[in-house]
Amino acid sequence: MRARSRLLRLALPLLAAVLAAACGRVGKDQEAVINRRLEGEPRALNPLLATSDPENVVLALLSRNLLDYDEKLNLVPGLAASVESDPAHLVYTVKLRPGETWEDGSPVTADDVAYTLQAIVDPKTPALYRKSLFDAMEKAEVVDPLTARVTFSRPSVGQRDAFNLPLLPAKLYRGTDLTSNPRNRRPLANGPFRLADWEPGRLLRLVRNTQYFGERPAAEQVVFRVVPETASAFPSFRSGGLDEMRLTAALKAEVDASGGRQRSLVYDELAYTYIAWNNRLPFFDDARTRRALTMLIDRETIARTLYGGLARPANGPVPPGLWSHDASLPPWPYDPAKAAALLDEAGWRKGPDGLRSRAGKRFAFTLSIGAGSERQRQIVELVQRAYRDAGIEMDVRPMEWGAFTTAVDAGDYEACSLALNLDPNPDLAPNFRSTAVPPEGMNHMFYRDPKADALMDEIATTFDREKARALYAELQRVIHEDEPITFLHFVSVSWGVSDRIHHVETSPLGLFLFWPGGAGWTSGRGTAPL
Amino acid sequence: MLRALLRRALAALATLVGVLVVVFALLSAAPGDPAALALRDGARARPASPEAVAAFRAAYGLDRPAAVRLVSWVGRAARLDFGRSFRDGRPVAARIAETVPITLALNLAALLLALAAGVPLAAAAARRPGGAADRLSGLVADLFFSAPAFVTGTALLLVFGVRLGWTPVLAEPEEGLRGVALPIVTLGLAALAPVTRVVRACLLEALASPAALAAKARGEGEAAAVLRALRRSAVPLLALGASLVPQLVAGSVLVERLFAVPGTGQLLADSVFARDVPSVLGLTVVAGAAVVVASAVADGLSAVLDPRLAEGEREPGEAS
Repeated sequence: MRARSRLLRLALPLLAAVLAAACGRVGKDQEAVINRRLEGEPRALNPLLATSDPENVVLALLSRNLLDYDEKLNLVPGLAASVESDPAHLVYTVKLRPGETWEDGSPVTADDVAYTLQAIVDPKTPALYRKSLFDAMEKAEVVDPLTARVTFSRPSVGQRDAFNLPLLPAKLYRGTDLTSNPRNRRPLANGPFRLADWEPGRLLRLVRNTQYFGERPAAEQVVFRVVPETASAFPSFRSGGLDEMRLTAALKAEVDASGGRQRSLVYDELAYTYIAWNNRLPFFDDARTRRALTMLIDRETIARTLYGGLARPANGPVPPGLWSHDASLPPWPYDPAKAAALLDEAGWRKGPDGLRSRAGKRFAFTLSIGAGSERQRQIVELVQRAYRDAGIEMDVRPMEWGAFTTAVDAGDYEACSLALNLDPNPDLAPNFRSTAVPPEGMNHMFYRDPKADALMDEIATTFDREKARALYAELQRVIHEDEPITFLHFVSVSWGVSDRIHHVETSPLGLFLFWPGGAGWTSGRGTAPL
Repeated sequence: MLRALLRRALAALATLVGVLVVVFALLSAAPGDPAALALRDGARARPASPEAVAAFRAAYGLDRPAAVRLVSWVGRAARLDFGRSFRDGRPVAARIAETVPITLALNLAALLLALAAGVPLAAAAARRPGGAADRLSGLVADLFFSAPAFVTGTALLLVFGVRLGWTPVLAEPEEGLRGVALPIVTLGLAALAPVTRVVRACLLEALASPAALAAKARGEGEAAAVLRALRRSAVPLLALGASLVPQLVAGSVLVERLFAVPGTGQLLADSVFARDVPSVLGLTVVAGAAVVVASAVADGLSAVLDPRLAEGEREPGEAS
């Protein structure tokens, strides 16, 4: 008995102390609070280093960009009243609006602009998304406190898009290691919200930034809850604990069927899924073979069954959400007979065992996939079956994600299955120009076509939108004919939103990464939107 | 006794170092450059520039040979400096310190719950071996033991969080015990089977002992006999408590992810997915130390409760 009470004397105070420490926060009026889901915790809140969705969606409320995208992907003034180039498109003048401040009341200045740009081009800064956009930058100078001048060595049609750029406060970052600056977890906001609280691993609480130069947002607080598992996120969403979350096709159907307190929204993502063929290998060095491999896949059925209708066969590398998309270009049809003829034509003939070979070499290769996606595994199994019926052996090799991306980045694979997310800037050169091959570039399938190269180069300096549109159409036809990769699907994304949230708009960038995005949401009896 | 404790401590330390070496070797052997992977967080991200990767490698000492890194890491770990996380650059010790109290409280509460439910169940079962109570308690305990924590947790949250609305779906410590009931119950149910089965076995043995039979002959009542038997089972119960620590720690990973509890389990899962080597190693030390400390505490308390055990630890011929 004495031993038992000794044990209790030890355990109970400890338990009580921890639980008591965890308790005690009094909630806000929940009507004015928007509860959002993060699928993972941000590593940091430094806009130059951000690479993942959880980081970007939080930063979208903390930081305005010099220029923002609106829901139609037009560039609109943000921190900058204007960003204008000289006639040669080499010098850009950035004019800030007067009266803009950081959350501590200090002004946003041209020095912040110059510092941020210099930090991006510093080779040691892992600004993965931004760096390539400023490859041609020569210098960034302060003209006056509200004006910066940025000079480039060559004109580029997508250069203005690069000014969709958040700023770092120079006074807190200059002279420090950008990657380990403590401010990466206590960012200084210049947007409609500021970070009030970050409970590691659990939540981030944003409150209105009283120093924000623009209209104040309707919501008083936005609470981002880190909920990695959909198995619990969805019940929480359904019972009102979360106001939004990404939905799978099955969950969308459930929301749509039940009606009531939630609704689903759908948008076309700036992305496509594909199977990359390593064009350097003899299996895939002939466009006829690659086209045949595409025509053996029943992409319509896959879109209907595995995506629940939230996908459509892709016709090339430009998704419908981009102005440069050529809707008149039909995707390659599902046509096994025509595919067989193309394979015969390319020299891959069926032997007595039903398998195809050319010059004594069997058509047998390995497709690598990153482990983890059930749908991708199912798609690949269907493809494997279709190829087997056509006399082609395809092994599937699931790989741990890190090992998979390392192999893909190096172009060290025979075939691989992936998705590519794109920027509003439709430049195809980073992925398709013959010079952009590994280890530096992202043309990991080693596509090489002089005509496509010439078109990409011409587009890079064509500032007339209509002329560029025609050139893009021609480029898409060239790539479509070459089919360096099998463009599988343009995918739509479904999002669930609570019915108490109003003024929710979608864009090809989703619900959050445009202006005003999530900053324009109102909840319950919240006031008018931004 | 002191020598025995010292021997146990050295053995535990050697085990811990062995586990660390294996974990470090596995992480080092995994394909892919950890620097490039750390900089490229998120499936959509592009590869980092060679200069950025080189800077990262230099900052985290990844440009040194693996053996040198391991020795250096163990040396610093001895001073509780586990290095900086590849993921967010923060000290690993600080990240772990934020999560340990949460996981500790969760597991302790689950263990208490398992004991509170398991002991009466076992007592009821032991009174009539093979009877209805015995069969039912065995069935219930085995059911929860065989169901993965993730499945039990999902079922609980659907019933109590969604259908009945008695608890929040995600863990909400602000709401007190109600807010953390589901993860505690999920973990507690997983520990219920071993508690019930071990206590039942101990009780049956104690009730069949000559002392118990003699007491019964003297007219001791059934309840008193069970209480006496429970007292005699204190030592194996403590050993059971220690043996449940690894199971609870492992179960915590799934339960914390499911209920969005920011404990060491969730941190471990995030760190493994992100190939955050310093964090994984630091958490390995903490989990290993938890097991070692739990079994040492159980040993110590057992020795206090039953001095014969301390005597038994003594070397032959050793002076008392």
